[in-house]
Amino acid sequence: MLLTPSEAKAVTDRLLMRSKADHCIVRLNGGERTNLRFARGNATTNGDQSHLRVTVESHFGQRAGAASVSGLDGQALDAAISRSEEIARSAPENRELLPPAGPQIYPGGAGYDAPTAAVRADRLAAVSKPIIDEAASRAVDVAGYCMARRGFDAMATSAGLFAHDAQTGAEFTVTARNRAGTWSGWAGRSDTRFDLLDTVRLGRHAIDKAAYTAPAVRLEPGRYTVILEPSAVCDLVTWMLWRMNARDADEGRSVFSRRGGGNRLGEKLFQDSVTIFTDPGDPVAPERVFGDEGLPQRRTVWVQDGILRNLIHSRFWALEKGRDPVARPGSLVMAGGTTTVDDMIRATQRGVLVTRFWYMRLLDAQNLVVTGLTRDGNFLIENGRIAAPALNFRFNESPVAVLANVLAIGPSERTRGGENEDSVVSAPPLLVKDFNFSSASEAI
Amino acid sequence: MHRRRFLQHAGCALCAPAADRLFFRVTDAAAAVAYEKLDPATRLKLADMALDLARRAGASYADVRVGRTEQEFLRARDRRLDELTSNLTVGFGVRILLDGSWGFAGSDLVEEAEIRRVVALATENAKAVRLIQAVPVTIENVPAYREDWRTPVRIDPFSIATDVKASKLLAINEAALTAGVNYCASLMRFVREEKLFASSRGSRIAQVRVRSAPYFEVTAIDRQSGRFATRASLAAPRGQGWEYIEGYDFLAEAGAAAQEVQQKLKAKAVVAGKYDLVIDPTNLWLTIHESIGHPTELDRALGWEANFAGTSFVTPDKLGTFQYGSPLMTVMADRSQAGGLSTVGFDDDGVRSIGAEFPIIRDGIFQNYQMAMGQAAFIGRGQSNGCAYGDSPASFPIQRMPNISLQPNPKPTSLDDLIAGVEDGIYIVGDASFSIDQQRYNFQFSGQLFYEIKNGKRGEMLRDVAYQGRTPDFWNAMDGLGDASTYHLGGTMFCGKGQPQQIAPVSHGAVAARFRQINVLNTSRPDF
Repeated sequence: MLLTPSEAKAVTDRLLMRSKADHCIVRLNGGERTNLRFARGNATTNGDQSHLRVTVESHFGQRAGAASVSGLDGQALDAAISRSEEIARSAPENRELLPPAGPQIYPGGAGYDAPTAAVRADRLAAVSKPIIDEAASRAVDVAGYCMARRGFDAMATSAGLFAHDAQTGAEFTVTARNRAGTWSGWAGRSDTRFDLLDTVRLGRHAIDKAAYTAPAVRLEPGRYTVILEPSAVCDLVTWMLWRMNARDADEGRSVFSRRGGGNRLGEKLFQDSVTIFTDPGDPVAPERVFGDEGLPQRRTVWVQDGILRNLIHSRFWALEKGRDPVARPGSLVMAGGTTTVDDMIRATQRGVLVTRFWYMRLLDAQNLVVTGLTRDGNFLIENGRIAAPALNFRFNESPVAVLANVLAIGPSERTRGGENEDSVVSAPPLLVKDFNFSSASEAI
Repeated sequence: MHRRRFLQHAGCALCAPAADRLFFRVTDAAAAVAYEKLDPATRLKLADMALDLARRAGASYADVRVGRTEQEFLRARDRRLDELTSNLTVGFGVRILLDGSWGFAGSDLVEEAEIRRVVALATENAKAVRLIQAVPVTIENVPAYREDWRTPVRIDPFSIATDVKASKLLAINEAALTAGVNYCASLMRFVREEKLFASSRGSRIAQVRVRSAPYFEVTAIDRQSGRFATRASLAAPRGQGWEYIEGYDFLAEAGAAAQEVQQKLKAKAVVAGKYDLVIDPTNLWLTIHESIGHPTELDRALGWEANFAGTSFVTPDKLGTFQYGSPLMTVMADRSQAGGLSTVGFDDDGVRSIGAEFPIIRDGIFQNYQMAMGQAAFIGRGQSNGCAYGDSPASFPIQRMPNISLQPNPKPTSLDDLIAGVEDGIYIVGDASFSIDQQRYNFQFSGQLFYEIKNGKRGEMLRDVAYQGRTPDFWNAMDGLGDASTYHLGGTMFCGKGQPQQIAPVSHGAVAARFRQINVLNTSRPDF
């Protein structure tokens, strides 16, 4: 269920008025999602899901508790207030609890597109059909997912804050496999606007990759020059951004901790050309309008020309350290360059082109080493051209090291990682040296 | 895929109707009314209405799930309670089969007008996907049941006051901090999932599942070197009630973890190479999950999950013949195991699951896939074996894991016996980093604690260990299997699959086992 700002405010006003707590925070989150899946020439699952959640957080002195309910039933909402107050009263004191923030001025959101909000299953089926047909004509199997969503977040506090943000999202991903099961390709993208997905191009891209007829070569594990397509870069950089927390760094338990105390803000950790930011006004990957604690999200440069410029600071930690709060981001833009993937291939004597990553998990927190695998479109590059499909690899590598080893950057584009649905990320392809492939994977 | 390691549990049961009132801690009249609004009679009435609307729309089959889920989450960081949240979610979903196509829709608003809207939407979706439905969906006949089922619990976790739970967490943290760690974070999550399943074939099944999931992690830091280490609790989420939390000695484990994490900071780094491994069940459950649970899901083997979760190296031609692993190895799927997160009377297709155990691997040979409704015919079988689950009533049910467990060795074999058979190896305890490819061949797992084994004896602690292997090679390299004295029921609350991704709870029983000449990495080395 999608609530307009005035509808949301009517709900939050009612709840705040009934609160008996010293301080009260009300959060609303709702929306609708239409999705469709297909595999091997047929529709499989589909669905529309509508949700609405109301969360009431009550504070009594330094004690806090929260209760949430789904729906807008008046009695259920009253019960949520009572429940949050009851558990807050019995909670132990939290010395770090801050009173909620007061009124704020928010940037305009760029994350909502009305035509996307109107997309229904018939449209999803219509854009999927040409890809299914093309796959049949080229003797490959395709499996895909097509989705459109519309949603909102709102927040209000007893100190007078009210924030509302509406977003839309659309996604199309497709995996193509040859009938022998000996090779595969993938393409995918998410966007604020369904119209920008270009599903035909994406589908053809995946099918083209899967349709390579040369047998896949088995390469030895080791360090390789790699061309990482935007989806793979999205995953690596997202992993790093999630861990850019000042408190962890200051406490000595992060790759961003400075030996002997403090953090590495201001240090040159990455190659000169690396710049990463989040921005509510970005037209390609807009950041949310407000953050977890209700403060406006502003343009935040996390890495500028290879130098670490910002870490996430909660309101509490910012106060402790005498800095401005910097909320956890909900998006990411890695600034692009001008070297296309074709240019990168031409410039590579021997290397591997990586389409996407899969099953990435933290392996070593000390160095932020992440493990994962390549999937659906690994290719050997020799003498400036794609020589053959190359069997997949497992990698054990740190995104910090990868961004220090960048040789060239391509144009940044809206993309989607291997596992994270609803990501709002713009990332470029990268040419990177010395990427650590640790073992071979025969999975196709 | 096991997405995140928080914790939980399931388990609960009382059967008197009046017990419902006890489960919900009624704090005032308004809360009582809100709860009563979705009482069992109301749920049945709404489900009947949805089924009637689906029939009028021309559906050849329809099912409805109406649900109400309570969750409680508490997290303590060091000496303060960081989060305390209580959630109540109601919702429903309608699935219809219309002219050979599925149509599904669901909503959090359980009321008559919304049911009319959602049934119409499910009908619209079924009509829309006809465009890409080359082969009509067919489903087997499933018997109709009118039954109630509840997970047995002795103490309902929602009957325990939040301050008691908070005190428990703060006591864990205090024990660890007092024992010298720099940081300790702990959490508990409780879930009570009520679901009514009603189908056009006449089933009306009401079920209640409860899960309890405790967790903590300690961190030690050496300021001089800048090194840090963590050690997470070995407590698993379970399908049990508060009695599980009460019966687990968290204070003792917190004290032990504090000592071990400090040893870990100074432990000898492993030298990469091939080693004989003795793997504790606190680690092996996750290897079973990833390398046996997921590859034997039939929807993966059929290619239906190729775009995200992946396919499987275990193709249907391997049924009944494939040597998955050592002849010592029998792996059973069940929905009956006490404390199992997947223990339930009926699956989300309305198929009776309790008492319908089946072998996935017997004596090392692959025997059965896990199936949901509409899949068995693709491999020449007649019926689903009860493995459907939707992570909310508003989610399309897909095939998900039952409890999948490595059976104990019937011959007496202790952990010490397994270790005694190793000259130069490593004993691995607790799960940590985990990753496996999309066909489930190449895996890599780390752990919480690692010990040298020298000449049949457990020796010094090691650090930075991960083992990497190829599924059938790994399981065929098993030459020692612990007996029931080594059994441990592990599990996760957060197994992910499907698009949009759904999260499922699942348990895996395991015993200690020995594997010969497995590839071991040093995770702190730049090249490994």
